[in-house]
Amino acid sequence: MKYRIKAALPLHFTAVVLFSLLVAACSHTVRVEGKYPSPVGEQLPLSVGIYLSDDFRNYIYEEDSEDREEWKINTGRAQKNLFETVLGSMFTNTVSLSEYPQKVPDNVELVIVPEVRELQFTMPRETRVNIFEVWIKYDMNAYDPRGQQVASWVITAYGKTPTAFLKSQEQALTQAINIALRDAGATLYTGFEKVPELQAFLSGKLRSASLQEFKVKSSKAE
Amino acid sequence: MFKPFIIFALIFLTGCTTVVIDEYRRSDGELRAGDSVVILGRRHSSDYETEPDLIACVGRELHNPEMGVNIIPEKEFVDIMYPWFEPRTAPMHVRSLDRLMENEGVRERMENYGVKYIVWIDGSTETTASAGSISCTISTGGAGCFGFGTWDKESDYEASVWDFRDRELSGKLSADAKGTSYMPAIVIPIPLIARVQNNACKGMAAQLQQFLVPASGTSS
Repeated sequence: MKYRIKAALPLHFTAVVLFSLLVAACSHTVRVEGKYPSPVGEQLPLSVGIYLSDDFRNYIYEEDSEDREEWKINTGRAQKNLFETVLGSMFTNTVSLSEYPQKVPDNVELVIVPEVRELQFTMPRETRVNIFEVWIKYDMNAYDPRGQQVASWVITAYGKTPTAFLKSQEQALTQAINIALRDAGATLYTGFEKVPELQAFLSGKLRSASLQEFKVKSSKAE
Repeated sequence: MFKPFIIFALIFLTGCTTVVIDEYRRSDGELRAGDSVVILGRRHSSDYETEPDLIACVGRELHNPEMGVNIIPEKEFVDIMYPWFEPRTAPMHVRSLDRLMENEGVRERMENYGVKYIVWIDGSTETTASAGSISCTISTGGAGCFGFGTWDKESDYEASVWDFRDRELSGKLSADAKGTSYMPAIVIPIPLIARVQNNACKGMAAQLQQFLVPASGTSS
């Protein structure tokens, strides 16, 4: 009896180890933690609230289709860093909101709320091209302080990286995601004023600001 | 007795590579004290990407402050100019620089860094053919590999030199490199690697040096 127990334990143990190795070999985990530079350029004269929801801050993409390996891609931290940096540099004043639509400070003129709509990636063996590719689509929403939607637009970001000798799939995919996030920041920064609704909102704000300036000057002159 | 010789032979045995460099020059380089050169990779194509390590290699080979060649590393430059030199936003033609310079922040940073030339490198290195097979076995008696493998690589790069201050194309260079690597395996695999990308980098850097500092070609 003693002999049986002794023999069975290593067998079970080996089976468990082999099984875990097999499962681990087919599943991949990626955690992207990028830091992004602040954009160079003039700031827009707006006081903006930025609301990054918990879903956005902790976003994890899970690939569980039958014909692909299992992937867990965590881009939450990186995209939080990106949007805080880029939006923080775009406007003369920005406030990070912990809750929305409650607790919006009085001086906030516009609230921006990004959401991840989609993340896709391809591996070199799927496309037969020696590059890892990533696409991320963001739904961008802008609201006025009363919660009325001012604008809604989409940002599509793309990143790719060539396969390199001795670089793991995880490292390559992380690099491609970081490039895609930089692209998202570039599109957000360069495309913000091109959204017609935001263009109208900005020119309305500028008109009222110059009108107010004119009133102050004329009252001083009197 | 022969051991050190064999080790040295293995280290220095590499596959053969041929490099062809072409040049089209519109004006000679004129770098003054404090001027800098930026080397950037084009990354807008969907089916290939200019490798960051090739750009870093050309920058390393060219950087020579004693000769007046100061290279700003690609990553540093792209970060300080963010988001104006990203794959989607980077200027594709020299004349697009005028519009970019309307941005005061970008203009100031370019002037502070003393940027005189922007060198855009476009291209990639690819494996074009491979043949042979190697099989390895592990048994209680030991392990070993037997077989023979060979593969061809081709590099094709083009560099456009933009004179940032005069807003003109100063010239173009191209580097085409080809090489075959071999891997015979008799118990141990012996890689004889043709360093195709590295040779293209060195050839291109040497030609760029002559382009940017014409005196360096005559004095050496």
